[in-house]
Amino acid sequence: MSPVSVSTRIRHFTKRTYVRHVFLLWIFFTIMVGLFAPLQSKLMGPAASTQMEVVQETMTLFTYMAAPVAGLIFAVVTYSLLAWRSKGFVAPQYEGTNSRGNGPTTVAWILVSSLLCVVLLIWGLAEMADGQTARGDERARIINVTGNQWVWNFDYIENGNVRSQELYLPVNEPVLFHVTSVDVNHSFWIVQMGVKVDANAGAVTDMRVTPTLIGDFDIRCAELCGLNHSAMFTKVHVVSQGDYLAWILKNGGHQ
Amino acid sequence: MSHTAEVTTAKKRKGLMRKLNVWTGIVFGVVVAVAAHYLAKRYIPMGADETGTVLMDRVVITTMFGWTIGFMAGVGAFVGPYRWMMNRDLDHDDQMWLAGKDAGMARYFRFTTDHKVVGIQYLVITMVLFAVGGTMAMMIRTQLMRADSTFLNNTWYNTLVGMHGIIMIIATIIMVSGPFGNFVLPIMIGARDMAFPRLNALSFWLIFAAVPVLLSAPFLGGISTGWTAYAPLSTQAPAGMDAYIVTIIIFAVSSAVAGANITTTAVTMRARGMTWNRTPIFVFGTVASVGVAIPAFPMFMASQIFSGLDRTQGAAFYDAANGGSGWLYANLFWLMGHPEVYVILLPALAALLELTPVFSRSPLFSFNSAVGGIAGITGLSMLVWAHHMYASGWAPDLNGPFMLTTELISIPTGMLFLVFIGTIWRGRVWGRLPMLAVYAMLFNFLIGGLTGIYMSDVPVDYALHGSMYITAHFHYTLMGGALTGMIGATAYWFPKMTGRMLNEKIGIPAFVIMQVGFNVTFMGMFLVGLQGQQRRVAHYDKLFENGNFISTMGAYTIGFGALMLLYTVITSWRRGEVASDNPWGAKTLEWMVPTPVPLENFEVPPVVTSDPYGFGGPDAYDLEYEEDRRPSDDLETERV
Repeated sequence: MSPVSVSTRIRHFTKRTYVRHVFLLWIFFTIMVGLFAPLQSKLMGPAASTQMEVVQETMTLFTYMAAPVAGLIFAVVTYSLLAWRSKGFVAPQYEGTNSRGNGPTTVAWILVSSLLCVVLLIWGLAEMADGQTARGDERARIINVTGNQWVWNFDYIENGNVRSQELYLPVNEPVLFHVTSVDVNHSFWIVQMGVKVDANAGAVTDMRVTPTLIGDFDIRCAELCGLNHSAMFTKVHVVSQGDYLAWILKNGGHQ
Repeated sequence: MSHTAEVTTAKKRKGLMRKLNVWTGIVFGVVVAVAAHYLAKRYIPMGADETGTVLMDRVVITTMFGWTIGFMAGVGAFVGPYRWMMNRDLDHDDQMWLAGKDAGMARYFRFTTDHKVVGIQYLVITMVLFAVGGTMAMMIRTQLMRADSTFLNNTWYNTLVGMHGIIMIIATIIMVSGPFGNFVLPIMIGARDMAFPRLNALSFWLIFAAVPVLLSAPFLGGISTGWTAYAPLSTQAPAGMDAYIVTIIIFAVSSAVAGANITTTAVTMRARGMTWNRTPIFVFGTVASVGVAIPAFPMFMASQIFSGLDRTQGAAFYDAANGGSGWLYANLFWLMGHPEVYVILLPALAALLELTPVFSRSPLFSFNSAVGGIAGITGLSMLVWAHHMYASGWAPDLNGPFMLTTELISIPTGMLFLVFIGTIWRGRVWGRLPMLAVYAMLFNFLIGGLTGIYMSDVPVDYALHGSMYITAHFHYTLMGGALTGMIGATAYWFPKMTGRMLNEKIGIPAFVIMQVGFNVTFMGMFLVGLQGQQRRVAHYDKLFENGNFISTMGAYTIGFGALMLLYTVITSWRRGEVASDNPWGAKTLEWMVPTPVPLENFEVPPVVTSDPYGFGGPDAYDLEYEEDRRPSDDLETERV
């Protein structure tokens, strides 16, 4: 074959009927996969903290990035089943192509996947860097959390000797939890706030959250902790700053 | 050797070894176990400050090791070393007897060294384990059909969750490198047997010995810990935990033995002319898998030995109050646990890579990318374990680096996807059951892989860790990806292994039902996971009822499809259509030998002159291109 310029080759390639069909299927599947982005945000419910906002943003971005990749693979396999299948149960009469690879395709594939990977990484590190600055946030209210088969205890150490088994938090104020356990491992998960850390015996772990919605949310233990793991469930009540103070005072604490 | 001479030798040599089989193994195992039980009860000292449960743990563990050693002695695993020590090493007749020469069905029920027998044994035990683990899954899903179901109590529920997990993990680890790595791989590389035939049999019978140990757990108070057996929960657990510990220790020995054997075979016993470039891709996948297992499983074994010492000897490896740490367990566990998912996945994907060229009548697209992808996954798999521990609080500062390594895995995995779709591209797809498995795997594993990228991101993982989303994700990879691959491999090599064709008239509908059920089940789990249902709960909030109901219905569909598939396999095996030597027109060496495969595979050692992917004709695209190049080129010229 005489040498032909790359652009001509590409133009010829895109003129093939099957290439056009695959391309249309690619667009179709990309849109289909992309539709999962709003769906998953809807299933996760309204974000009740700044952390959950980041989580939902990330999942949306990742879904949009994944959509063309998944779409391409779905398109090729669907098209091959529809158009390149030899009908019937007997062995195909004709052979496929004898192409053993295609350098430019392979290189492009690896480059694109590496690029996507770099984007994921930079995005993730940027999110985590935000978390790092929050770590130095001195204003955060410290609350001690203790897991105990099968209840959670909350100590509001900045407000005197107050302990509760349902969590109360003031809205729009950063909170730092010091989490530990007196027996086996538990995992402290505030579902709608998208944060979680294990409660380990003999160690204290940190978790930060800034609630942004007033309301009642769920706390579930996310680490199998024995017989009644499924019953290790409580509520978090996010209230206005004034209501929070009133609750603290009512329970014998101070400002 | 004349016929009469053979008879006299056999008579002369007819020793104890020739009387041993699985039944003598079981009898001897039970006898030794009972003896160990009473000796342990009587002679193991108990400190004044120790409780009865510690004594029970000691007795139970001793009994289980008694059973294992007794069984292995009774089945004849130690005959070789014993005869060697007695200076009466096995002679040729003994070797032939061990290889199961002319022994018919009996060779499947004793310590037989022929790799083909071991392969079939592995296939059967894998299917039995899947049946047991699958039944447990059905019970779990039945409990979870309703929010406040009382089908199972919490003890049974937790035990079944743990048992289902560990049985399925063991079954999936052995499901490809066991049956096909043993039966097919040596023939594929032109060898007459494995490098260490006796170790081969040893690895299988150790697993056989471990099964009753594991299944005894529900009768010893159950496993309350899930398959991860996290400490300190495992220290608190009843004696069922000892069954888990002993099982893992036996299994680690078995997998080390099998790994050394398969690796050595592939490296040293390839046929003349089979350079690495000409070695089938399945060999790469299997060697990578067992190569990962060799460093990984000792970690698991160590973690369980420490766990056993904590339980029985008052050691404090995981006891924070006495200077230990639960994080030590988590690290050891996941140092095994993450490589292990690739131990499961790689050979299954490689088996599908092996059959994709055959069923699309095209060469493997970019052999180098396939090998590079497998190698990349293998290397990275050792460096990602702590992504299971982002939320554990162990080392928050390491979350960034582990996020990096985890996301990098998407690159070699993507290369494998490229090889699949590149091979299918303009191929001539033959829609038989093995090829349908390739399609199903591509669909499922893509979903499993992409959702894996979500949770590699640290903040997203904080939200999803420990939820049903994770359960759905890893079932998509291990069941939708790897198990589907195993079904494809079974359908592909069934004619060679059993001498009969798999009946696809029932097999294909069964497979499709399973795949539909699978996707319904685990889409339901993604749904409740996003809504916030945590894993491993026997009861849940009303909010999750719809998603769980969907999952349970899907699970029953899988169960129905699996029973149909099992029926097909059994009936086809017994009286299916007799297969020719090479029904698929494949080019690897295992299809060049007669079916059933003779004892030493090849009469004359084969010489390999090319790789096995020489499919396809001239590229139709190029022909067409040549033809209609001229008019458009003219057009080009005119424009210029």
